[in-house]
Amino acid sequence: MRLYTIILFSFLFVLPACKEKTYYYEVNEIEVEPNNSGKTKQKSVEQFINIAYANLNQQALSPDQLVDITNVITSIGDKQIAFETVIAKMITNPDISIPTESEMRTDIGLFVTETYKRFYVRLPTEAEKTFWINYIESHPTVTPEMVYFSFATSDEYYFY
Amino acid sequence: MKRRNFLKKAALTTAGSIAFPYILPSGRLFAGSGNPPMAEHVVFVLFAGGVRQQEAIEKRYLAESQNLDIEGNIMYNMLTGDEPELKIVYGTTTPGGQPGGQPISPILQTPLDQQGTLFKEVRFSSAGTGHFTGLSTGVSGYYGTTQGLQQRPLHPTIFEYARRYGGFDATDVWFIGNGIGNSTPLLNHSEHRDYGWEYGANFFAPNITFGMEGQEHLKGFKSFHPEEELEPIEQMRHFLNQNFLQNGGRIPHLNNTEDEKEDIKAFIKEVFARQEAGQLVFPPVTDNGDLSTMGYATEILRWFKPKLTVINMSAVDSCHSSYTNYLQSLHRADHGVGFLWNYIQTQIPEMANNTVMMVMPEHGRNLEPNGILDENDWVAYDHDSDANSRRIFTMMVGPGIDGGLELGSEANPVGDAADVVPTIAEVLGFKNEVLNSGLLHSEAKSLFDQI
Repeated sequence: MRLYTIILFSFLFVLPACKEKTYYYEVNEIEVEPNNSGKTKQKSVEQFINIAYANLNQQALSPDQLVDITNVITSIGDKQIAFETVIAKMITNPDISIPTESEMRTDIGLFVTETYKRFYVRLPTEAEKTFWINYIESHPTVTPEMVYFSFATSDEYYFY
Repeated sequence: MKRRNFLKKAALTTAGSIAFPYILPSGRLFAGSGNPPMAEHVVFVLFAGGVRQQEAIEKRYLAESQNLDIEGNIMYNMLTGDEPELKIVYGTTTPGGQPGGQPISPILQTPLDQQGTLFKEVRFSSAGTGHFTGLSTGVSGYYGTTQGLQQRPLHPTIFEYARRYGGFDATDVWFIGNGIGNSTPLLNHSEHRDYGWEYGANFFAPNITFGMEGQEHLKGFKSFHPEEELEPIEQMRHFLNQNFLQNGGRIPHLNNTEDEKEDIKAFIKEVFARQEAGQLVFPPVTDNGDLSTMGYATEILRWFKPKLTVINMSAVDSCHSSYTNYLQSLHRADHGVGFLWNYIQTQIPEMANNTVMMVMPEHGRNLEPNGILDENDWVAYDHDSDANSRRIFTMMVGPGIDGGLELGSEANPVGDAADVVPTIAEVLGFKNEVLNSGLLHSEAKSLFDQI
């Protein structure tokens, strides 16, 4: 009887403390990205310009250029107009890093996911992804440049 | 039964329309509660960085500042009077190389004081005589004694009154700054909860927008095809913005419609194109920031024909360290005003004879110098809220305004810096709404009511 008690206690207290089991339920591992609900702070003009330039060109803006572009934006009262014109100028830069149209249309889902990650630092929801795939498929004249411009001048892009 | 309901509703509607006048989307009452407008356009020049009465209205040149018995009028587009005969330093460089020795030729054949009404002695009666406080008072009619320097005006500006009660569109209302320093870009609307950005004025600091920085980072921006590109872009952006609506965040804007936004972009392109073609029109002498601002201002007037335009000049503030440069800047500020008025009357038919122009310094300058000497060994002047720095003038000219009328004296001032806002409101036809807002300086009243 004493022997059984010892064995029982060994199972109950000793063995579970020694080894932790990992259970797998056949769910893929995913990297969790923030959604847009946490974006409540406005970027400063400097932050906006720095990030937009980096997103479009995949390289950093020089400090002198940052000051100049910030001044230009400050000199225009309506910031929507200021951002749209400055971004519209940035996309005329020949060094801009934008996927080609064939790259976009070869795998629209991937293009949409990468665009959300690049501009919004998050993954698209399924509803968003569905919208974009349908929209791009049904609008053959839409280019990656137009999509990028839409993202870079949208409200969510101004917040973090 | 239906007929009875119809009669009942019709009676209620009739009674309602009498008791509660229809409110336009702009917030303006349909039933005219204001005065009839005197003119369709107002241009208000904030002149020009702190001006002493002695060198302006009193035409004393060096007599009241440098212990030199030399008097004369260096603002002869605005004021009647002979120019100084000695120690001419305020003009351009002479062919012989004398700096400032060549006065700038007058533009107006008849000085503005003869064309309009001059309030010779107006008071900046409250708060400190700082630039932002002065400018803020000029555009809001309220002395912001608790106003922060990097903060929008606490009380509504004339732009917001104009859009709310005048029913004006965003592109009808412009604030043109000579730069982006001194929080100038914050003056196009207040942070008052009942007014604010949705009634704000469009703003340019054109020396930057169209200057070196703008030429490098704005000129040549891509124009999207209206139907093939812009329309899908707006659809896509609308989807993105709708998904972000729950957060309530928007890029700051001024309620320009999509058409107005595109119009402003087209204007920017047009200015760069005219600049490249050498077609921009500037004052005959344009050798400082105030005068180039004035040139760009006429481009804005020509394109948009705004109902209300406020233009800020500031070069005379060099008086802190150089009295000579102060005189040069004052002379040029007068040149700019003369150019502006002449341009409106001769180059913009829609605004000619239909525009009231007002000119007022945001504050004055000290009676006593600060001890800094310039290249002529002349002393400089600050503005530290002494009695002299509270002395300013206000000039107005245009339809319905008496010509050659002068009011006020140093002993008997007439008018206050806060009076410009209700005066503009009277010209544009919404004085009562502005006065009834309860948001002006307690003593503020239209200058027309003080004549």
